[in-house]
Amino acid sequence: MSTVQAQPAPLAEEAPVSLWRDAWYRLKRNRLAIFGLCVIVLLAFVALFGPYLTPYDFLSQDLEARNQAPSLAHLFGTDDLGRDVFSRVVYGTRTAFLVAVVVTAIAIVIGTVLGAVAGFFGNPFDRVIMWLTDVTMSVPNLLLVVVINASLKTPIAQWMEARYLETLNPFYRETVWIDFLLVFGSMALISWPPYARLVRAQVLSIRSRPYITAAQALGLSNRIILTRYVIPNALGPLIVAVSAGLGTAMVLESAFSFLGVGVNPPTPSWGNMISDGLRVWQHYPHLLAAPAAVLGLASVAFSFLGDGLNDALNPRGAK
Amino acid sequence: MMKTENRLLDVKDLTIEIDTRSGPATIVDSIDLHVGKGETLGVVGESGCGKSLTMLSLMRLLPNKIRVAKGEAHFDDRDLQKMSNRELRKVRGGDIGFVFQDPMTSLNPVMRIGDQLAEPLIYHRGMSRKQARERAIELLRLVGIPGPEERIQAYPHELSGGMRQRVMIAIGLACEPKLLIADEPTTALDVTIQAQIIDLVKGLREKLGMSVVWITHDLALIAGLVDRVVVLYAGTVVEDAPVDELYANPRHPYTRGLLASIPKLSDAPASRLNSIGGTPPEPGRRPQGCPFAPRCPLAMDICRTHVPKLEPISAAGSHRAACFAVEKAREAA
Ligand SMILES: Nc1ncnc2c1ncn2[C@@H]1O[C@H](COP(=O)(O)OP(=O)(O)OP(=O)(O)O)[C@@H](O)[C@H]1O
Ligand code: SF4
Ligand SMILES: [Mg+2]
Repeated sequence: MSTVQAQPAPLAEEAPVSLWRDAWYRLKRNRLAIFGLCVIVLLAFVALFGPYLTPYDFLSQDLEARNQAPSLAHLFGTDDLGRDVFSRVVYGTRTAFLVAVVVTAIAIVIGTVLGAVAGFFGNPFDRVIMWLTDVTMSVPNLLLVVVINASLKTPIAQWMEARYLETLNPFYRETVWIDFLLVFGSMALISWPPYARLVRAQVLSIRSRPYITAAQALGLSNRIILTRYVIPNALGPLIVAVSAGLGTAMVLESAFSFLGVGVNPPTPSWGNMISDGLRVWQHYPHLLAAPAAVLGLASVAFSFLGDGLNDALNPRGAK
Repeated sequence: MMKTENRLLDVKDLTIEIDTRSGPATIVDSIDLHVGKGETLGVVGESGCGKSLTMLSLMRLLPNKIRVAKGEAHFDDRDLQKMSNRELRKVRGGDIGFVFQDPMTSLNPVMRIGDQLAEPLIYHRGMSRKQARERAIELLRLVGIPGPEERIQAYPHELSGGMRQRVMIAIGLACEPKLLIADEPTTALDVTIQAQIIDLVKGLREKLGMSVVWITHDLALIAGLVDRVVVLYAGTVVEDAPVDELYANPRHPYTRGLLASIPKLSDAPASRLNSIGGTPPEPGRRPQGCPFAPRCPLAMDICRTHVPKLEPISAAGSHRAACFAVEKAREAA
């Protein structure tokens, strides 16, 4: 059909792989990242199904068998109330994932919206949002969480109890979710600034790339440019940040539990197990070792995967 | 002079400024340009003389801090500067196709090239995704990309520079625009591929009957492609002539320098402008009189105080130059 006789230039010899498959290919060759990925998949499986598979309930006490060392019957031994430590660590995995996923998700939504608005619309939004970010980051994390918990937890609990006595509505009796709400809320509140900064920087840099001008020169709408050109290009670094952020959130939750402002007993979390274990570690080291080792493993796994994703997703520009 | 009715694009007195710390500086200074229907215009000038910004300003796509200070740009008898955003979006990509300078950064790295081709077809031509896909394959075939059925699935980084440039051209041509603006579409390519792409555009121009503005800093390259050439220097038009006339009888000292410095095939591209000493002025540091005066071998006193106007040289008026030495020679004759 074509009357044009242009000789096609020889193509570079590259296997036709997609961008994401290309990244996956690079990730696969990174041993540490794959190790991290396997650990995370395993832990996620444990978080989802573990509590149904453990031989003991995480709450059931066996006062005959207190503070036992690890054995076949109790893989990680038992604690001072005779509860099976393995079952508790397994349930703690669920707590850890729940906290990490929910907190990171909230932080990402807040961070992405604020960062994108700041980057895309510029001043005065930019100035206000960046000020907010700086202020949040300059307040010591622990202080903020302690203040929020200390000032809100007791009044809310008292209010709930009063309502329960008044109405006898069982809804007001269950207070575990308030605990979670406060932990999630306060952690998300201190975790969003890095995401906001990242997204803002991404949007700023992408907005001035030639392919955005090229898309505008095609007459495409702002909506299409934002959803098909800006956001997908900002995704890579965000994925990396999320992977690292999940690990950080788990460690953060443990730190808060350790200080008594995290998830409260009897709901097992690695953090409150560690803080219990620390009190008796000279006599029963397994009570500290088991949750600490799992937390360490999870945190290392997320950081390996984050590094691997960073390497796998970034080199496309440098090629 | 050409009748205005035949003009597809008519730019008058276009001035572009940039905001700097020390106030606005002029980058493009009162440019007049026009392109006839079916005509191919070459725009030539050294790097930084304002070629790209001039073309971007037509589509109101200037980057931050750079704006049109005055002037008009009519396309098909409509004022591009005054048009509503809605109308403008129809012109962008629909009536005016744009091929960008850098094929490495002007394609969206995370979108398959088939989708990048389909997007304007869906918007401007109201095609379904399936129709747009078929058309994308046709377009890739048209610009000489082998195996277009598979290639539409490719991402930009899977293609060589020459292939990406062809994709860019295909995107610019997608909606069969009345005007194709090609901004140095071959600088990144090696000589044989440059020639192929020029042949390609020539063929397409005849087939589609469109007008073309071809921007380059390489006069030799476009000799066989364009009808008329406008020579820019530091944001002003210094000479404007039919291509054969310009080659046979260049008048402005800058054009002469450009022609004298056309490289032999063996020369490295870097040696192109060696025969003109010095560098063009930076925006904001333009000399008072003729912008070329500091580098001009013929500069006279008047050149440093007065700005030469673009005046017709021949009686027909199709050859114009902005130079006091040229004026003097004509008066003497
Ligand atoms: N985004 C920008 N910010 C500041 N200055 C700019 C910007 N874009 C271009 N300029 C300046 O405007 C002038 C003209 O730029 P333009 O890109 O139009 O040149 P050009 O003729 O296309 O050059 P080239 O052949 O290198 O593409 C240059 O001096 C350049 O430094
Ligand atoms: S006007 Fe004067 S300085 Fe400018 S190009 Fe002509 S001779 Fe040279
Ligand atoms: Mg340019």
